[in-house]
Amino acid sequence: MNAALATLKLAWRSLFRQRLRTALLIAVVAYATLSILFFWGFTDGFLNAIFQGQARLVAAPVAVTTEAYHADPDPVHALAGLDDVRRAVTAVPGVRAATPRLDVPALLRSPYAQRGATLRGVDPAGESAVSDLPDAIQDGRMLEAPGELVLGADLAETLDVRLGERVAVDVAAVGGPAATGLRLVGLIDTGIEAVDAGTVLAHLADARALAGVDGATELALDVPRGREAAVAAAASDRLPEGVRAYGILDQMGELARGLAAERVSMIPIGLLFSLFGAIAVTSSLVVSVMERTREFGVILALGLGHVRLAWMVVLEAILGTLLGYGVGAVLGYALLFVLHEVNVLGPLFTGVYGDFLSGLALGDEIRADVRLEYLAYAGVTVALAALFAALTPARRVARLVPAEAMRAAE
Amino acid sequence: MTTFPLPLFGSSAARIARLRVAAVRTAAMRTAAVRAAAVLAAVLVAGGALAQEAAVPADADAIVDRIVENLRGGGQRATIRMTVERDDATDRYVLETIGDGDERALTRVVAPPNEAGRAFLVDGSELFVYAPRVGRSLRLPPSGRSDGFLGSDLSYDDLAGDELRDTYDAAIAERTDDRVVVSLVPRAGAATPYGELRLTARLPDLTPLELTYLDQRDAPVKRLTLHDPRTLEDGRTVPTRFEVVDLTEGGGRTIATWEDATFGVEPPDRCFTLEALETGCRW
Repeated sequence: MNAALATLKLAWRSLFRQRLRTALLIAVVAYATLSILFFWGFTDGFLNAIFQGQARLVAAPVAVTTEAYHADPDPVHALAGLDDVRRAVTAVPGVRAATPRLDVPALLRSPYAQRGATLRGVDPAGESAVSDLPDAIQDGRMLEAPGELVLGADLAETLDVRLGERVAVDVAAVGGPAATGLRLVGLIDTGIEAVDAGTVLAHLADARALAGVDGATELALDVPRGREAAVAAAASDRLPEGVRAYGILDQMGELARGLAAERVSMIPIGLLFSLFGAIAVTSSLVVSVMERTREFGVILALGLGHVRLAWMVVLEAILGTLLGYGVGAVLGYALLFVLHEVNVLGPLFTGVYGDFLSGLALGDEIRADVRLEYLAYAGVTVALAALFAALTPARRVARLVPAEAMRAAE
Repeated sequence: MTTFPLPLFGSSAARIARLRVAAVRTAAMRTAAVRAAAVLAAVLVAGGALAQEAAVPADADAIVDRIVENLRGGGQRATIRMTVERDDATDRYVLETIGDGDERALTRVVAPPNEAGRAFLVDGSELFVYAPRVGRSLRLPPSGRSDGFLGSDLSYDDLAGDELRDTYDAAIAERTDDRVVVSLVPRAGAATPYGELRLTARLPDLTPLELTYLDQRDAPVKRLTLHDPRTLEDGRTVPTRFEVVDLTEGGGRTIATWEDATFGVEPPDRCFTLEALETGCRW
């Protein structure tokens, strides 16, 4: 025990006898650690931005609907007993607001073009609690009364309709074909193609009249960010048979599974960062061992065994890496914290990759995620550095002959 | 080609089956209604064509009604030659059509061979299409009535004129000795994208001459001109050549000419069923 402690002390002192080399080692590991933290913080923040974009611009943070509608989104599977369902879910902790929606496949016609889209009937007073779309109206205003329509700006451009003009809406309703004319009062411009080219908001009363449905296809719930799944699970427990609450990942279905798979596919890239860091540490140690051959010869001549000398080198690697890891962790989390609090990444990425990302419901707000688990991912660097140090520099030291080592050139 | 992007709700097969039953139930009622209308028409015709021509209504709605009656031409059976001109191609079709002059019509493509067998059935606000390649009938959304069929600029609404009476408020915009122009403005909530329609008819017989569709910025976007009116025994003057010009950028032109037309017929109800849509109707 004393010998191990002495070796540890020896390794610790050695770090500070070669300050420049140690500083270089710490800088390399700190850089690798910071890179790994940033990489995962950004990746998760990016995915969160997509999920939140879906939750606030396309779907709902939590959607209560029938299992039949979830499997087959046809208004014939609309929610029955809407008031009872609303009473049940608003009592669930975490539910801040609930508003009905009625989604109906529709055909929109102007004198120049026609497009198929999903018309969403909403309660104008309640929609802004669960959706960012009302705030994304750049021209005109949100719905106020039946007979009005809000469109995505790209869709309005495709149809060539302007504010104040009427759009003919046709629906193959539950009770037969139905049609009406709705006046355009607002244009949504988010810069997100999926939203701007596909959004159609109408008053719930118009959607009900068109669809021939008295209730709603879903009850959209506003819940705190990050608690969607937990609240959905709690709400489902209170709902009648055949009705369930779906968190954002459940609503996204295949897209969510695809994004989860993307995250898994990022692991090799994260490991690559760790590998580069460990190789940098190892190469630094190899140079260090070569430069200190004479010193090691003296130490061996003074009676330190080969094994303890090899351990000293390994411990030097571990201690140096740990120091770099600590510095990198402090800097990395500081960076993530700043990028979480200040929306720097969103404008940067939408500016550079706007067209590429336009297919996703990704707004211009991308905030880095901050999770403790990133420490474990970055810790792989320390483990690999220790392993490589044991494999190469320590083995070299273990094979040194003291007399030859002492004759080695400085 | 006309596209139909809307999925049908529920079971189309069940709905079509219900329609078959409903068609049988209402057949007797319709027959009675048609006969009553025929009796009424006979009484009116007894007054003579001259009486009809002399009494040009002063009211815009009544004028529109008379124009629409002329446009429809009553019960008819005809062969229509239709030419669809686009920038890059011209397509020619031969259609056979049967109409009861009220709200039902069956139209079948007989040429060209690759389109032959395709058929359309209008029954009030309902429009069904039969695709022989898949051997299925589909009910189309209401927009199908205002869509050009077979990729043309001509729609069922152009031929039927129902929309003119049901969707718009009429006002006389201009009247001279030989023609009247009626302005048709959509009612609140009307399911039309147009801002105004201008319907021109010849006086005193109110033969329809032209129907111009204006967008909501007062720009004309489509014009239907009607030619070669044929005077029927009951005094109605029915146009037998339709020319539709899409006035928007890149728009085409469609000309439909009635040939071998027999007006004043009373097709049986069985001609307006889904069976007739799929197999045709001979009588």
